[in-house]
Amino acid sequence: MALLEIENLHAAIDGTEILKGIDLAINPGEVHAIMGPNGSGKSTLAKVLAGDAAYEVTKGSVRFNGDDLLEMDPEIRARVGIFLGFQYPVEIPGVSNTYFLKAAVNAIRKHRGQDEMDAMEFLQLIKERAQTVKLDDALLQRPVNEGFSGGEKKRNEVFQMAVLEPSMAILDETDSGLDIDALRTVAEGVNAMRSEDRGFLVITHYQRLLNYIVPDRVHVLLGGKIVKSGGKELAEELEETGYAMFGEQAA
Amino acid sequence: MSQAIASIAEQQSVYLRDFEQAPGREGEPEWLAALRRRGIEAFERRGFPHSREEAWRKTKLTAVANSHFTVKEPGALSAPLAERRPVADGPRLVFVDGRFDAGRSDREALPDGVTAAPLSELIASGDSAVAEAHLGTLAAIGEHPFAALNTAFMQDALVIHASAGKVCEAPITVVFASSDSDEQAAYPRLLAVAEPGSELRIVEQHLGGGAKYLSCPVTELDAGQGAVLSYYRLQELGEAGLQLGTVHARTDRDASLRLHALAADGQLARTDVYVDLDGPGSEAELNGLYMTAGQQFCDHHTWVNHNAEHTTSRQVFKGVLDGRSETVFDGLVKVAEGAQKTDAQQQNRNLLMSKLALAHSNPRLEIYADDVKCAHGSTTGQLDEAALFYLRSRGIGPQEAKGMLTFAFANEMLRPIRIDSLHEYERALLFRQLPGDETVREVE
Repeated sequence: MALLEIENLHAAIDGTEILKGIDLAINPGEVHAIMGPNGSGKSTLAKVLAGDAAYEVTKGSVRFNGDDLLEMDPEIRARVGIFLGFQYPVEIPGVSNTYFLKAAVNAIRKHRGQDEMDAMEFLQLIKERAQTVKLDDALLQRPVNEGFSGGEKKRNEVFQMAVLEPSMAILDETDSGLDIDALRTVAEGVNAMRSEDRGFLVITHYQRLLNYIVPDRVHVLLGGKIVKSGGKELAEELEETGYAMFGEQAA
Repeated sequence: MSQAIASIAEQQSVYLRDFEQAPGREGEPEWLAALRRRGIEAFERRGFPHSREEAWRKTKLTAVANSHFTVKEPGALSAPLAERRPVADGPRLVFVDGRFDAGRSDREALPDGVTAAPLSELIASGDSAVAEAHLGTLAAIGEHPFAALNTAFMQDALVIHASAGKVCEAPITVVFASSDSDEQAAYPRLLAVAEPGSELRIVEQHLGGGAKYLSCPVTELDAGQGAVLSYYRLQELGEAGLQLGTVHARTDRDASLRLHALAADGQLARTDVYVDLDGPGSEAELNGLYMTAGQQFCDHHTWVNHNAEHTTSRQVFKGVLDGRSETVFDGLVKVAEGAQKTDAQQQNRNLLMSKLALAHSNPRLEIYADDVKCAHGSTTGQLDEAALFYLRSRGIGPQEAKGMLTFAFANEMLRPIRIDSLHEYERALLFRQLPGDETVREVE
């Protein structure tokens, strides 16, 4: 059984249809990349999967571990193992990164019938995970994303993923705005988490990221539809030819 | 409308008659009797506030005008004095319906040169010189009718005094409790005088049970040259309590006034804070947090007058409104001619937890000097949907997410509290109003 199975997914915002029939299946252990130009629906797909109420699913289904994902509230999706790395992480003044993550970890543990994590154990965990993405310790005590640089925000997303250990991680343009050092760090963080029971959906505008996070499958999204799928060589092909080759299909 | 006017007219004569018939003032010194007369005369001249007056337009006084609240013997006391103890140490003086209650008070020793005693006691022992010199000198009885009524009717007063250079680190707590007697009128009074170079910390708690009463407290705060006066005001009026209160503060050269107000309940509450920055280099910090629900009405008016050069004021008032509650923030910063280098900031932010809640915000600036820095701002809105989604996308439930964001919004107002036990106490008050389960309580 696929980990995540998307069938004929249509979604709209404010009455405008953005996704026009997406079919995609991700098996445990696989890394899939979605590429496409601006406005092709990449971020919409990510947000629909995470349960953003601004989007309305008009048709199709999404199953996660065989369960109907679209029936679940956003927090339930997170608790069963979905994680979205935001393209634009939200600043939350007055709530510290540490407290926020502790609340998240414990909400997830509670849902799974586990005890709350002991405070010392938790602090150790976040310290260790912060190191894997080279996130400055000082940022752990700061309010969530407030005053973070663009790179720090993206690293903070990957850091949260490392702490929450989802079984399906969706990374929405986690590479955009990163310099090459930060990009490597983020990619290392992701690669360290690759495992045979975890799936990744990496959404990106640029092929560059895929040099560091080597995908099993690459899909090209245009006009709300996947117009081509292939292996990692498809990304390289795109780098050379651009999206123009899909021009007719996109129209 | 005609009915309301009739009842107001009636009220006026009612108060005057009450004043003339008030028993038990024999033996009061002449200066106090004269002060009372000034109070009732000011009220008679000024009259009950009319709904057409700009400053009273939004304050719904029907509940005050349509009942005859009178000074009566205190009833039983169901206000939870024991568990609502905001400060762990220092003396606590309790007044019930405006009268000093020695049995319920805890008069811990104060440092030399610092006193806190009821006026009745000071008069009896012949120590009322400070009170005589200062009581009624700051209260704006000509402008504020209920400050005038208090001046006429006060049953007693707490007088706090710090001699020059004396520092009292222990907070002095005064509790103005209301008894269970319905239609009781209470006129609690506090006078604090910080002589030059002294420092005082005062916590004033208004505590009600379930009765429908009217309380018109007046607080006068006089900060002498270089003095630091911290004043914390807690409003826990009980469900049916009505309060029309005033705070009048004055700062001398280089003095510092720090005011923190927390309003938690009560059916109707209005507090007018008058600050006169009279001395060059003096400063005032005013912080307020109001949390309303149900049909509560809560009103804060501030009148900050920069009367001298190099004076600074910082005001931040925040509201968290639920249910059908209604709030007013009306803040005036007035910079007098010649008060150059004034630095004034004023901010009001309201968070609406319900579609039916209503926040009025009216920041005002009047500037008669030309070399000043003044800023004000006002925002009213709901919780940020993007932030809520972000929290939920990490597994945090919707109620907990709301609780967290609301706490973060309100908590900014708790940070300046410099008394640990009071900080804890206000946190607990805040949590009582927040949605979400116990996880929210671990924040910070």
